Amino acid sequence: MEKILLKNLDKPDAHKIENYIQYGGYKAFESALKLKPDNIIQMVKDSGLRGRGGAGFSTGLKWSFIPKDPTIAKYLCCNADEGEPGTFKDRGIIDNDPHLLIEGMAIACYAIGASNAYIYIRGEFAFGANRLDAAIKEAYAKGYLGKNIQGSGFNLNMYVHRGFGAYICGEETALLESIEGYRAQPRKKPPFPALAGLYGKPTVINNVETLSCIPAIIEKGPEWFSKIGPEKSPGPKIYCVSGHVKRPGLYELPMGTTARDLIYNHCGGMLTDKPLKAVIPGGVSAPMLTPKDLDTPLDFDSLAAKGSMLGSGAVVVMDESTCMVKTAYIVNRFFSHESCGKCTPCRDGTPWLTNVLRRIEHGEGKPGDVELLESLCTNIFGRTFCPLGDGAVMALRGALKNFREEFQYHIDHKRCMVSGR
Amino acid sequence: MVTVKINGKEITVEDNTLILDAARDAGYDIPTFCYQADLVGVGSCRMCLVEIEGQKKLQPSCVTPVLHGMSINTETQQVMSARSSMLEFLLANHAMDCPVCDKGGECELQDMVYKFGPHTGRHSEPKFKFHEKDYQLSPVIIKNSNRCVQCMKCVRVCREVVGANVLGALGRGDHQEPSSFFRHFLDCDQDGNCIEVCPVGCFMRLPYRYQARPWDLKGSDTICSYCGVGCRMVIEQRDGVVLRAKAQLGVGLNSETLCARGRFGFDFVNHPERLTTPLIRKSGRLEPATWEEAINTIVENVRSTNGAHIGGIASPRLTNEELYLFQKLIRGVLRSPNIDSTSRWEQNAVESYVAATGMNEGGVSVFDCLEADTVLVIGSHLSDENPVTDYIVRRISANRRMNLIIASPRAMKLDSSANTLLRHNPGTENAVLNSLALGVFAANADKLANNDSVKALKDSRIEDLLTLAGVKDSEINTIAQKLHASSTVSIIAGTEFLRFPEGTIGLAALKNILKSLGKKVLVMPTLDRANQRGAWEMGVHPNFGPGYSELREKGRGVDGMLLAAQNNQLDVLYVIGSDIASMYPEQELAVSALQKVKFLVVQDMFLTDTAKLAHVVLPGSSFGEKDGTFTNQEGRAQLIKKLLPTPGKAKKDIDIIRAIGEHFDRSFGPKNALLVLDEIRKEVPMYKDVNLLFNNRKNTENKLDNKASLVAAADSAALSIGEFKTKVERKTPDAPFQLVTGNHLFHSGKYSRMSRTLLGLVQGGEVEISEEDANSLGLKNGDRVKVRGRAYEATLTLRTKRGTKSGVAFIGENFDDAPIGKFFRRGDDIPRVGITKA
Amino acid sequence: MLSEKAKKEIEAAMQKYPNKRSAVMDALRIAQQDGGGHLEKPDMEEIGRMLDMRLVEVNAAAAFYTMYKINKPIGKYHIQVCRNISCSLLGAEHLIKHMEKALNVKTGETTSDKKFTLSTVECLGSCGTAPMMQINDDFHENLTEQKIDELLRKLE
Ligand SMILES: Cc1cc2nc3c(=O)[nH]c(=O)nc-3n(C[C@H](O)[C@H](O)[C@H](O)COP(=O)(O)O)c2cc1C
Ligand code: SF4
Ligand code: FES
Repeated sequence: MEKILLKNLDKPDAHKIENYIQYGGYKAFESALKLKPDNIIQMVKDSGLRGRGGAGFSTGLKWSFIPKDPTIAKYLCCNADEGEPGTFKDRGIIDNDPHLLIEGMAIACYAIGASNAYIYIRGEFAFGANRLDAAIKEAYAKGYLGKNIQGSGFNLNMYVHRGFGAYICGEETALLESIEGYRAQPRKKPPFPALAGLYGKPTVINNVETLSCIPAIIEKGPEWFSKIGPEKSPGPKIYCVSGHVKRPGLYELPMGTTARDLIYNHCGGMLTDKPLKAVIPGGVSAPMLTPKDLDTPLDFDSLAAKGSMLGSGAVVVMDESTCMVKTAYIVNRFFSHESCGKCTPCRDGTPWLTNVLRRIEHGEGKPGDVELLESLCTNIFGRTFCPLGDGAVMALRGALKNFREEFQYHIDHKRCMVSGR
Repeated sequence: MVTVKINGKEITVEDNTLILDAARDAGYDIPTFCYQADLVGVGSCRMCLVEIEGQKKLQPSCVTPVLHGMSINTETQQVMSARSSMLEFLLANHAMDCPVCDKGGECELQDMVYKFGPHTGRHSEPKFKFHEKDYQLSPVIIKNSNRCVQCMKCVRVCREVVGANVLGALGRGDHQEPSSFFRHFLDCDQDGNCIEVCPVGCFMRLPYRYQARPWDLKGSDTICSYCGVGCRMVIEQRDGVVLRAKAQLGVGLNSETLCARGRFGFDFVNHPERLTTPLIRKSGRLEPATWEEAINTIVENVRSTNGAHIGGIASPRLTNEELYLFQKLIRGVLRSPNIDSTSRWEQNAVESYVAATGMNEGGVSVFDCLEADTVLVIGSHLSDENPVTDYIVRRISANRRMNLIIASPRAMKLDSSANTLLRHNPGTENAVLNSLALGVFAANADKLANNDSVKALKDSRIEDLLTLAGVKDSEINTIAQKLHASSTVSIIAGTEFLRFPEGTIGLAALKNILKSLGKKVLVMPTLDRANQRGAWEMGVHPNFGPGYSELREKGRGVDGMLLAAQNNQLDVLYVIGSDIASMYPEQELAVSALQKVKFLVVQDMFLTDTAKLAHVVLPGSSFGEKDGTFTNQEGRAQLIKKLLPTPGKAKKDIDIIRAIGEHFDRSFGPKNALLVLDEIRKEVPMYKDVNLLFNNRKNTENKLDNKASLVAAADSAALSIGEFKTKVERKTPDAPFQLVTGNHLFHSGKYSRMSRTLLGLVQGGEVEISEEDANSLGLKNGDRVKVRGRAYEATLTLRTKRGTKSGVAFIGENFDDAPIGKFFRRGDDIPRVGITKA
Repeated sequence: MLSEKAKKEIEAAMQKYPNKRSAVMDALRIAQQDGGGHLEKPDMEEIGRMLDMRLVEVNAAAAFYTMYKINKPIGKYHIQVCRNISCSLLGAEHLIKHMEKALNVKTGETTSDKKFTLSTVECLGSCGTAPMMQINDDFHENLTEQKIDELLRKLE
């Protein structure tokens, strides 16, 4: 497949605006400025693009919720918090091809009528944040940002907002709180950000990868885009592969590539001769797949049908040497560490899970612990304020469902079934 | 209106009603932690989850409004299991030290676990602890975060209602802790509303610590005795000692809030220096005596005295019933026209203020006031003087986008809620209001051509008014525009109008002009004494009788009485609860005058400076020891209820007054407060129909506003606006500040000085100026400074406030080391002072 | 106390937003850098004044995010080793143990010469090149014990 999102990754110095323009950049923005904003929204709708941040919501539809009243200020926030463990695609774009994102954002702003945009980038990505700052400066200098862009009368300011170590900032309303200078705890919805978002104004929040698809949709047309991959979730997708494979990394492939194809063809197969044990298909919140599910297409609907999810498209591959108790512990520890503290079940439930998992992993499990874990999962799931708590439960439930005997073995024998230690 | 089904029962409620409220209306209780009617909903604790048919997930009923046709279940297996699981999570890290927790027995967590389970514990992991020992957040707040349920009501009430915003959530996840900046001592209003809203033993009252188990307390549902807001509260005692005051959610106009004075200032009631026996001066010294001796001495001395040479002063902290009888005694029995209730305001100033604010036109609810398009607060430092009004205004203005205009020389906490601020010179309310009147006139010249108030303003030049007030043309225009554009206007007018009565002229004029433009105008007075309004309405004033009735002859007020005493023309003075010797502006004069009174009777709880000069001292009662009514500043009559007997041989004030009265007239007074109230209802038509039984419980209709308790308009009232002129001392280089006074947040009147808890909140006297002035003088907050006036000098602690008008200095009333009365001279002058580093 | 340079940077950050408060994260980051890697109370007091925020709000904002080090001095080089899933699958634990031995500190501690602070972190978004760590602002990927030894040697 022709690369769209990662096309400039191996070209020299694509992050510099001259080079980006030379590689064909900012053409889409220029032609978008000649279209009516509504037409652009329609094009994005027609393309079938669904958000790459996790939930897979139709991007065009999201944009169309923004009120048309020109007297109300509107905002675009790019979600570059990229916190889901296993995910590193947004960083790939930001570090190497920042103008692709800026161009996508500029088009989005024009379409929804926003004249201010923020890129919320996680604090750990200092390199990327500096890259973006520099690229934004270049874009201003070249007249792609600022006042009266390319003589169109459209004004746009773009800023980088740096996070500083909180996974929850990836949740869109927590992200808004964070920009506003508050503790990043999710807001209640409704009102949805499209009506009352940043500073109470209509706001679109989109993922980096989502926005990076936009220039291609403008340039090559929605129909072209909608023909890539499955009908219900078309387009290119960046899979972030890590773990026990020969060639981990970013792979831009048509949406719906199967796990088997991805692992065994594109990534060169398993790292060693140990066979595959499980795959997390969409970041650690996504329940894992086992070898029997390897032919599932990695797209929103197919994975949902299997009780998992595409999430951010982070594929973590684990071979037989992997202890599932330990994996579950590590994943759960992450969630309880990142729980924002707002709601009871997540705040007090995830650390409880972590404590139990730690005990089991350390050989201090007690009879009934598995049942306790299951019961706590029931008590958390569906009752939290935001999806973080649910994510923690889904991940653990996935492990318990597929590898329950490993947990029980740990408890009964006070040691690991896989390593024997 | 929408119709929904709750547990199968169909009910119809207003649009946008929360599921929680709808369910409660339908008779189903839903447990909550983070929900609080007066705070913005957050939906975080998840206790209130309910099932909505057709929705997969349980939904938080405290933030989810009903939709037409919804079918909601609040008691299914699933809902019950969610409740008990939330409680299990909350208990996971909970300290579980219930036996030593002050909250034990009235803890919401305890109660809910008891009711909903889990009744066995599964959590056996190590608990996270925030700290080992409880830590203090202020002289009155002690904290144990290990008991926190993270509802964040403390943080929210502090920000949304109190406006102090000194609490925040530190950390995240299960390490999240509501606390102060680095857990330091709080520099705030110390009102303890964080304690009040805390459902568990996380925020606690330090003075109440380990004093009692809640089930050992006996309470009385009464009214606070400090300022004129009239907050409803429950005071509780054990073994005769008042230990706690608390507010009740949804009860009284204050709902769950109180200020520091109300919540912590009750301890004067059990002060060891309370007077417990009558005293009679014998060979120069006050000696204990029996009641019989004391009353007989009084009767003997009074019997042969000409009424014109008798005077009576009764504190505005007495009940209506006491004040009414006092008035009856002084005027009816002793035939004296000389009666007053306050030593602080001049008698004509009071009459003018009553007239300008229209108190005689009946009660005005604060909630009605805040429905207006424009609300102008002027002449009142609401945040300190009337703290709960400040909370009410803040809370309502956050939801309603009215114009809130605050005109005050001093910055105040409520400023942050206002959309227009005006900083005028002290004592220039008249100039401000007149210039506003001219501004409104300019926009409506045709309609107002024949208006009397406009005619009276003919000679005023706007430039002069602006110069006098020290404000800009544009500022006045902005406000005038807003007034002009509003169809309803409320003016909240405070005690500055009594200190500088010239302002009442402007107030009356502006009100008149706005009214003649067809606008609805409400004026609400704000007062700093619990029953000041009641005192006036009971006729304890030299210019008018009960119900503002006209008198044949005006008497002398406190000023006049002291003057008369000075000239040896006052033979008998009966003072109840008022410490003129220390409160009167220009103290020396007051003391020397009192010394000249031939026979001085002082009835009080304490041996005040005034009582020390008395010939007979009668031990009276505190608000906790009697029944009766107070009329708050809005004109709301409310019941106070007895909690304790009077200490020792002290008596209820009403009984003492009656005892004296009965010596002259056997049928003098009814036997108890309720019967006196009946007489008041008969004699004072304003009170005929006030309803005291209503308990103000919040529901969807009344919104804490019990209109039935408001007094009616007076039958006839001949009140007039006086003529006044505010004078200011000339500015000199070494005395550049104009000195103003008023209530301090932690003090008001004499009794707050007898509260050890309140005394503990401020370290001595303070003088407050603007931060900008302080900077230019090279001074900073907390410095010790010398404040030098013409006749007096004091060394005080400097407080700076951002945004106070330059050249204004403030010293609160009632500090022993800053006797404000010594800076002032008789009359209306605003003294000048210099401030230098001590 | 904040340096003039830091104050200028904070003022520049304030220009990005319609209100001052939004600049609090930038301000804290700038102050932390200015203060040699950690934040102290006076920094927050100054930020509160600059941004018109109550001190507790500055405190609350700072204490929410793990990268602000409140009252926790950090060595010249802050080594943060990822311990989340992808890195763990490829041996992060061994690397952490190795590092503890090489630096002679436990995780969370600073070497006595104040040169290195060793911490673990959750996923840093570099999973395709796991195991990895971050030293100050720079990522170091595809780590092995030898690579680490070399790196440490090179750091002054
Ligand atoms: C706990 C949590 C973490 C999230 N983290 C991210 C993230 O790091 N990056 C992201 O783009 N979206 C993240 N999301 C999803 C966002 O809330 C939001 O749906 C997304 O940014 C929308 O963009 P899209 O429509 O382009 O997908 C997260 C959601 C949750 C609940
Ligand atoms: S589930 Fe609750 S505690 Fe967890 S991150 Fe979301 S809001 Fe915060
Ligand atoms: S009361 Fe509804 S979530 Fe707390």
